[in-house]
Amino acid sequence: MKTLIIVSHPTVEESGSQQFLIQSLPDDEEITLHVLEQTYPDGEIDVDKEQALLREHDRILFQFPFYWYSSPPLLKKWQDEVLTDHFAFGYRGTKLHDKEFGLVLVIGLPEKEYQTGGQEGFSISELTKPFQAMAKKTGMHYLKPLTIFQFPYLAEPEKKALLVDYQQYLSLPQPISLKRKENWVLDQLAKTSKETLPTEDAAFVLEAAAEAIEDNRMELDELRLHIDNYDI
Amino acid sequence: MEEHQWLVKQLEQLESDSRDYKQKALLQATIALLEEQEKRREQLQGELDGTLWSPGNWNI
Repeated sequence: MKTLIIVSHPTVEESGSQQFLIQSLPDDEEITLHVLEQTYPDGEIDVDKEQALLREHDRILFQFPFYWYSSPPLLKKWQDEVLTDHFAFGYRGTKLHDKEFGLVLVIGLPEKEYQTGGQEGFSISELTKPFQAMAKKTGMHYLKPLTIFQFPYLAEPEKKALLVDYQQYLSLPQPISLKRKENWVLDQLAKTSKETLPTEDAAFVLEAAAEAIEDNRMELDELRLHIDNYDI
Repeated sequence: MEEHQWLVKQLEQLESDSRDYKQKALLQATIALLEEQEKRREQLQGELDGTLWSPGNWNI
């Protein structure tokens, strides 16, 4: 599966959160990072090139800071110019059909403010309706968004958890279940470099972890089977 | 359970020794995954015990 990340940020080099996400990208996946402001510093979008990029990928993600309940201006311009009649909708406008569409949102306020009675008063699901409508109109499957609240206040373990959530959001089949996470971790453990691990028995520990994950899965499936058999 | 605790300890040590940030994140995620599996195992075991002890399921 090929994933296209369309990033929009007026000063992406200076953004701690965007730089963290960019540094978090896995090295070996079929992932294309596409920063609009770097590709088009003059704001002139090459529509043919953008439409070709969209065709080549299966999962399309918009990644941006959530400014005034919407995207930075270049991403809106991109939508206006790239998602044209006969390409994204209308007669023979089926080029995006059955692709997946998701949002990676960096949000300044805490999550609890995005609900009735909170400081913002509306949920993220309500505020992102235009993107949901865009996905619907273009025949794409809208994924649950990856929301990052108050990035500068994240503690180190939270940042590491975000790195993994982000990597999984880019490539894992949806919905992301425990079983799929297990397979992802097993795959990554097999691939991870031993050179950055000083201890001699690192390989042994990694192997033991992989085995434990597989054994636990078998046990969980067996328990579930027993419980289901007793259901009347 | 003892094996689980031993493994978590070893992984924590590896995470602190690792010189690569992405690898540290992976090791932390591995520990979180093992903890989640352990939690679900306990929950399912409890559910199964409850089912076995429910007279409604004795079929007599």
